[in-house]
Parts: sequence; structure tokens; C-alpha cells
Amino acid sequence: MRGLPDHVACVMDGNGRWAAQRSLPRTAGHHAAEAAVIDVIEAAHTAGVGWLSLYAFSTENWRRPAAEVDVLLRLVRRTIKKHALALHARGIRCRFLGVTDPRIPPPLARDIADLMTLTRDNRRMTLTVAFDHGGRRDIVEAARSLIRDGVPPEQVTEESFARHLPHPDLPEVDLVIRTSGEQRISNFMLWQVAYAEWIFPDVLWPDFRAEHFWQCLDVYRRRNRRFGEVSVPTARGKGT
Amino acid sequence: MRDSAPTGTEDGVTPTDPAAPLGPGSMLHELTHQARWGLVATRAIVLEAAHPQIGAALITNSTFVAHPWRRLRNTVLSSQRMVHPDERVRQREAARLNRLHERITGTDAEGRAFNAADPETRAWVVATLFESTVTMCRLSGESLDGPVLERLYSEFRAFLALMEPDGGTLPPTLREFWRYYEVMIEERLENTEAVRVILDRLFAQVPAPPLLRDSPAVWAAGRALAGPVAIAITVASLPEPLRARLGLPELPGARTLIHAAYLSTRFATQLLPEAWTRLDTVMAMIDPSSGSQPGADALAGLRRGATKAGALFRLLTPAPRTATPDESTVRSAARFFSEVLDQTGNGFLDWPDLAAMAREIATRLDLDTEDEDRLFTAFADWWRDLQQELDTDGDGRVTGHEYAAATATMTSSALIRVAEVLFDVTDKDRNQFIDGGEYRTLFRTAFDHDTGDGDDDEQLTRTEFVRRFLKFMAGRGHSDAHDRLFAHP
Repeated sequence: MRGLPDHVACVMDGNGRWAAQRSLPRTAGHHAAEAAVIDVIEAAHTAGVGWLSLYAFSTENWRRPAAEVDVLLRLVRRTIKKHALALHARGIRCRFLGVTDPRIPPPLARDIADLMTLTRDNRRMTLTVAFDHGGRRDIVEAARSLIRDGVPPEQVTEESFARHLPHPDLPEVDLVIRTSGEQRISNFMLWQVAYAEWIFPDVLWPDFRAEHFWQCLDVYRRRNRRFGEVSVPTARGKGT
Repeated sequence: MRDSAPTGTEDGVTPTDPAAPLGPGSMLHELTHQARWGLVATRAIVLEAAHPQIGAALITNSTFVAHPWRRLRNTVLSSQRMVHPDERVRQREAARLNRLHERITGTDAEGRAFNAADPETRAWVVATLFESTVTMCRLSGESLDGPVLERLYSEFRAFLALMEPDGGTLPPTLREFWRYYEVMIEERLENTEAVRVILDRLFAQVPAPPLLRDSPAVWAAGRALAGPVAIAITVASLPEPLRARLGLPELPGARTLIHAAYLSTRFATQLLPEAWTRLDTVMAMIDPSSGSQPGADALAGLRRGATKAGALFRLLTPAPRTATPDESTVRSAARFFSEVLDQTGNGFLDWPDLAAMAREIATRLDLDTEDEDRLFTAFADWWRDLQQELDTDGDGRVTGHEYAAATATMTSSALIRVAEVLFDVTDKDRNQFIDGGEYRTLFRTAFDHDTGDGDDDEQLTRTEFVRRFLKFMAGRGHSDAHDRLFAHP
């Protein structure tokens, strides 16, 4: 399909509000989010999107009540085990961005490592799950890595800096979808979203489905991306 | 099997002595490089274990139950060195085996003395290898006519003569050998504890080879199927009188199974690409640290496949009850104790464990006589230190908790000497530094321990090496969990 974004990222927002609207505990919203996640992965895969990134858990989310964090961690583990084979069968390479906090339970860390091992040779689509992720932290880590390697200041360019970020092959994000109508970046992939188009559908994440995803792709295709120039007559990624 | 005359005249290689028909061109050289040699070695060990002296030595000194893959690899490596093109390598290996055997002495549970260097005992080991080779060929449908059989036997005698200066005690002719073999089976072999351990425990509990160590569930599932089959094949191939003495009935269908198994190995050897059926390839597949090169790409692919299969198996397995941090700590500590310290797998640390560790290091690093003696002396001194510090009840052994608690506070000068010997043998150019790559290779080779991805350019001084070695031997280099457990037993 012409004009498709190469890299789509989703900030999965609105689980708590979805549950509150139904007088349910917040954790019920997280459980309901699983169906949306699978639907969006399937939709992106069908559309031929090459890179899909999902913001599952931020470094700031550790401040939430322990019981809610616990439910979230168990939910992630259950989702991984439940869908690993299907993801692999569809040729989806799964990777995680972040996942450094010692509070992550070892069994979950093992499952994450296993999922990455199982799918590492797949190339049909790359799914990056930002889990225990912070955009600023990634930038600080890249700076540390540059210093450790003794790179002279005059040799530090945007390109050389990007090579020190986690998953340096991750292309810049073309489209970010943040559900629930909230309009913030929330420390998400700060380096990679520099030129991204943002869409803020009012739908809460547990209600977000393939059709909403298609609508967002359609909006993106009709936008005129300029990357700071006067006019670039295409909605595709940089240089196309 | 090649039929050319032994030559051994490759560049830089000492010509083979016609009186010692080993090396390239010999039947033994060809056989010991085929993967099915593993079948011969496995069957032969049962016959060896039924010999009272060998059985006692195996039970008290050997690490084959706890570390069967390592034992198999050492046996294979040693066999290949004994038929190496260069006679100097053959002589060196024979001398090493002699030193190793001389150190294995003691008394069995009934008070009978055993000595691994006893000529009669060593003749039986070689006899079992010869007879198992003949059995393998027979069960594979390969006919060994008179002259070929005579030649094979003379090669095995030459094999023994490498270790025994007077030629050993194997009968001079093949006719006399079969008489000797029958008498040994009828009169000498017993239902030893070692045989029962091999048949009851080894096949059923054989730990995962290094390749599948991270996929225990995959290994356990495969072993549950293959273990009983391996026992049935091995038992069915044993001589009938011995089987009767061991009280092992022949299972229905075992004959068919055994022929199918051996025929498969024969056809695999004949039909598959040579690189696939070479013993080096198989050993490299089950133990990536063995460093063999043939078919490296295919092996890398297989390893990746195995890793993925393990990952998928774990992901598809329902999540078990989450272990508490304490449980994880205990498991980690137990792993260090069983993999590094408790070489014989009896749950205690005693002299056979340390002797096995020294033997293993000497074998893997191919130490010469002087370095090997220094290493054994250092280990023996260290054992005396440990006994004085720890073995308060004088039963000659210490538990994992006692060991770790003591090493945390005790800096044994003998253990430092062990470290110094290791430093010296690693520092080949004697410049008093070893680099990061050599350091990691040493730990991987000698202790199966991965020290992680370090910097190859790092230069370790003697002091720094000793410090890290002491930390490793105290368990502190293994895991924080181990440290926590042993600090607070």
C-alpha cells in the first residue's frame, strides 16, 4: 500500500479510565488491553508495516501501587506465553526496549529472553515492546557508551550518537498513535520520535481495534510530511 | 574403513614405527574418529565396570556419573591422541595416562585393594574396547574376516603396549584372546556397584550435554524416551553369561532394536556426508567448548535451532509456581557446588573430588609432567589445609556449607599455589601477564565456567589472577546468590 508508515508506535493509554467508566478496578483495564494489543499487531502485520513499537510500561510506572504493578507484570508474562507461537508463526521478530530494572521478576525476564531468542531470525515485521522504558534514560546511556568508547567530541554526530542507542537498527518513528485523547510525549522514544507524525484518537486503548488502526494509517497517508523543509510531496518516511 | 598400510609420513610428523601400527591408515585411527565409536566406548564401560578393580576405581574416583559428557569427551580425546599421526603425541598421551592411573589407588568396600595402573586391569580395558569394536561391526552387518580381525587385534595390542613397556598382558594371538575373554566373563566379572550405577542411574539421570544445559525440560523429555532404549540396546549387546550374572533379562524386541541401532549407525557412517558422522563433529555439537572445527556452520545452525527449540518449549510450558528468592538462591548455590566442587557427585567434598579436578585440569590443559606434578602437589596440600580447618569429625569429607564458610575467611597458601600453577601454564610467553582472552579460555576449558564478555586487551598480573581465582573458588565469582547463601548458611 502506498504511503504507509514504515515505523508505527503506539502509546497505549486509557486502561485505567476504561475500567473506571465501568466501575471496575484499574487492573481490569489492563486485562482488557490484551485484546487491543493482539488486534493492532495483527492489523499492522496485515498492512505490511515493517516496524511496530508498543509502549507497555514506563520507568515512571514503577511508582504505581505495588498490587497494580504486580498484576501488570503477570499480565505481560501471560500474554508472552499465550501468543509466542502465533507471533513466531507470523514471522514477527519480537524485541524489548528497556527491561533493565532488577524488580522485573526472573521468570518474566527469562520469558522475554526466550521470546527474543525464538523470533530473532524473523524479518516479516519487527515488534518492539518498550517495557521499563524511558527515552531520556536511553539518551543518557548512549552518552555514557560514547564516553566509555573514548569518542572525541568533534566526532560525535547525530548518526554516530544514534549508533550507541539500544537497538541502533530501529528506524525513526513515522507515526505515533496515542489513544485516549491525551496529548503528551511521556518520555517515549525521545530520540526516535523527533520527526514523527502524532495522532491522538479519543478511543481508550482497551477499545482500540484494527479499524481504528486503519483509520490512523489513512490519516497519516493524507498528511504532508516536511521534515522542516518548505515542501516534500510525500507522506512516506524520510527521503522517499 | 580404509585398508591402506600405515604410513605416518606427513610433513613434520615422526614416521610411524612399524612395530606400533597406530596413526593414519590404521583401522583404529579410522574407527576412533567415527561418531559410532561413542557406542563402543559406552558398551565397553559396562564391561569394564563389572571388573571388580575397575568397578571400585570408578565408584570411588571417577566422575563419570556426575559428568558423563566430560568423561566421554576425555575418553574420545585420549583415544585420538593415542592414534595420533605424530608418535611423540602418542607417547606423551601414554605417559599422561600412566601418571593418571598411578594416582588412582585405594580399597573397595570389601577391603580389596585396587590400582588403576595394574597391568591385568589395563589389559581388560583394552580387551573390552577390542571386543566392543568387533561386536559393533558384527551387529552392523560388517564382516571382519580373519586377516582383518588379526590386524585389528594387533592394533589394540599396540595401543596397550604404548602404556605398558613390556607389551602388557593381552594374549599374543587372537585365538588365545577369545579364550581369555571367555574366562574373564565367566570367572572374573561381578555384579559390581559400578555396573548397577551405570545401568540404573547413568542412563536414566544423565545430565544434559552442554549444548542443552539451558533447556533442561527439552533434555528431560528426550531422555525419558531415549534412556530406556539406550539401556535395552546396551544390555542386549552384552555377553549372555554376564547378562545372566547381572540378573538382566533380555527384553522382547531388544534384538531387533539393537540391529536397527547398529545398522543405522553403519549406514549413517557410509551414506551421510563424512563431516556429519565424524566424532569431532558430534562432540562439538554436544559440547561447544570442545572447539572442534569441522562443519562449523552446520553446527552453529544446529545450536541456534536447539536454542530456539528450548526457548519455545519453555514458553509453551505453563508457568510454574513462582520460586521465592530463597529457593532461587539455594538452586544457584547447589549448581556451583555440583558443577565445580563435587566432581564425583556424592554430595560431599573429599579428596577424590579435588583429585578429579586436578586430573581434569591437567587433561584439558595438556600439562607436561612437571606442571602436572606441581598441580597435584598444590591440590594435595590444599586438601590437607581443608581437612585441618574443616574436617573436625575426621570422616575425610566436608559439606558444601562447611567449605564455603571456611574459604570465605581462609586464604589458603596451597590454594594460592594452585592459582600460580594455573597462571604459569597459561602465561606461555612467561612475561608475567595473561590477557583477558586467555583468562576466559582457561576458565572455560578448565572449569566449564563462563566469566562473561570481558575485554580481550585486558592484561592480568599474577596478583590479580590469584585474587580472581580465589574469589571463584570461594564461590563468590559464581553468583551473588551463592555468596548470600554461604555467608548465612
